[in-house]
Amino acid sequence: MFIQFFYTLRDRGVPVTPTSYLRLQKALSMGLVTSLEDFYTVARALLVKSERHFDLYDQVFLHHFRGVELKDPETHELTDIAKALLEEWLKDPAGVAAAFGVDEKKLKKMTPEELIQYFLDRLKEQTEAHHGGNRWIGTRGTSPVGHSGYHPEGMRVGGVSRNRSAVKVAMDRRWRDYSQDGPLTQAQLGEALKRLRRMVPAGPKDLVNVDKTIRETLRNAGEIEIVFDRRLTDRLKVILMIDNGGWSMEPYVEIVQTLFSYARSQFKDLRTYYFHNTVYDVVWQDAQRYYRPERLDDFALRDPETRLILLGDASMSPYELMYAGGAIDYTQRSTRPSIDRLKFLAGLFRHAVWLNPASLWEWDRVRTIGIVRQIFPMYELTLDGLEAAVRRLVAKN
Amino acid sequence: MKEQEKKPRAFRGASKYVLDEELAKIVNISIALEMPLLLKGEPGTGKTMLAYAIAESLGMPLLTLNVKSSMKLVEALYQYDTLTRLNDSRFGDSKRDVSDIEAYIRMGKIGQSFVADEKTVLLIDEIDKADADFQDDMLDVLDQMSFDIIEIDKTVRAKNRPVVIITSNAKKDLSDPFLGRCNFHHIAFPEPEMMRRIVDVHFPKLSEETAQACIQAFYRLRDIGGVEKKPATRELINWIRALRSDPDFRPALLQRGDVPYLGVLYKKSSDLTLAARAIARLRRQ
Repeated sequence: MFIQFFYTLRDRGVPVTPTSYLRLQKALSMGLVTSLEDFYTVARALLVKSERHFDLYDQVFLHHFRGVELKDPETHELTDIAKALLEEWLKDPAGVAAAFGVDEKKLKKMTPEELIQYFLDRLKEQTEAHHGGNRWIGTRGTSPVGHSGYHPEGMRVGGVSRNRSAVKVAMDRRWRDYSQDGPLTQAQLGEALKRLRRMVPAGPKDLVNVDKTIRETLRNAGEIEIVFDRRLTDRLKVILMIDNGGWSMEPYVEIVQTLFSYARSQFKDLRTYYFHNTVYDVVWQDAQRYYRPERLDDFALRDPETRLILLGDASMSPYELMYAGGAIDYTQRSTRPSIDRLKFLAGLFRHAVWLNPASLWEWDRVRTIGIVRQIFPMYELTLDGLEAAVRRLVAKN
Repeated sequence: MKEQEKKPRAFRGASKYVLDEELAKIVNISIALEMPLLLKGEPGTGKTMLAYAIAESLGMPLLTLNVKSSMKLVEALYQYDTLTRLNDSRFGDSKRDVSDIEAYIRMGKIGQSFVADEKTVLLIDEIDKADADFQDDMLDVLDQMSFDIIEIDKTVRAKNRPVVIITSNAKKDLSDPFLGRCNFHHIAFPEPEMMRRIVDVHFPKLSEETAQACIQAFYRLRDIGGVEKKPATRELINWIRALRSDPDFRPALLQRGDVPYLGVLYKKSSDLTLAARAIARLRRQ
């Protein structure tokens, strides 16, 4: 059941697993799901494991179930209703006869099969239009079966429901804000910060300090006193290099700077440098890229364990990257092509990443991005990208 | 009668917890399928409170495991109290049998929920604080419903499968194997109407006017950008409590744009100044 729904979810990028599908089947077979609304909620809880995919789920659900919801009741569904009517008739013949506007005695003469057929015919007639009144199928009628009720197997009988239907709920797309596509925004700062906080490789205090333990135990007159230490992990040094030239980078420079300055206390040392498009012989400590240049060669003196984070869209003319003297600022017509300088940096710092605010689909289309990617591992400037980058930076090798 | 007892009781909310239908369904299905339920959502959306409410409404005892970043799984399962044993062996003034290691095994929260004689609700709070190994190993334990005590080579099996509720604050996804074994729900921040019902539950005697004004002001304040920690339900409840205890308070004040007791709503000084400035700006308009 619902195999197609399952595969549509998969195709659209919701990571659903066969195990969870089987679990859904179990839930269905236990009779825990009695309506489309239940199905919407339960299938989501079982299949979708992140609020980021809730919106996608809503869309697939809409696509898949809208037809069921809005199409006219089909014959087999009507048959079910007719059977339900038969039961109703056995309990309360007068009421049913009155609802159909026929003589009770006339109905009593029929066999059950004939009755079902009779109900079926009447139902088909009435599907067309009967709103109001106490007809069997119609809206706001007084009859127990029909729209805004559920037929015995739980599918809705067409029409718009009085309760909020699952499809309506899905149509609201309540979870749109939670899909985390697109580059980092101010609102996500807090979340991004949490990811940066993981850049501290500090573990639990679980290392016995033997010397101190002996000393403390002696001091305690032989009463054993165990002293634990945190594992020896140093805090990280970070160098942040930001491309702040050009309007394309503008919205991100401030966010990233705020982000890292909030996280400053996490690091032993945080230095920020600026460059335009790509790195040549110098980078600057001031955002105007004028007053305080720092020669790139001097970075060789830095601790090679320093984490290097470059931020830029890496989009430029290929000659800026590939040729000697390719810089667009005439003041830094270097004798060496920028690509060599980048390789130099990558050689100095083995923990280096490039964060790119450009969206992934651009990456294959801009040639220079492809080139830079071969030198530095590149991550999108999104929450997920940041997370992956941090993981890479704190990795031991 | 017996038939009815067998049926799992359904969860329908508790005295101080306003439950939305969707969540109720998910809770009930998780209980029926005997799967842990993972709840995510902003702080203050009532993730933790839900576990309390389930325990209350189903009449089960609640065990809370507050996860800490330095925690190891074994601490949540059991602890071998070596220090007490050492102490006993030297002074021998306790009634415990020193040669019996089992006497020095103390159950952690997960262990307690396994050995309890009745079905319990086990709340594992803020799982995201722990590292990935902890999370995966824990799910193994909850899957198997058993764990080994290495020191005495004994396997502890759950007498009753606890109802497991796991909460997580981070928007970060937990690992795939972890997610694969849980049901998942994300609790969105309540809409104003829902918030109204929550407030009504907490303050049944609050006047219509005050409630309306407070909630309106509250959602206005939540719109202030750049705040690191937005005020949540808990803050609103405390704030209303503060306003009610103030004899000079009139709802009209809020409508004019005054916000007394801002410190109840904002817990960080930078947020507080930011909000105060935003309020001053709003009033001038």
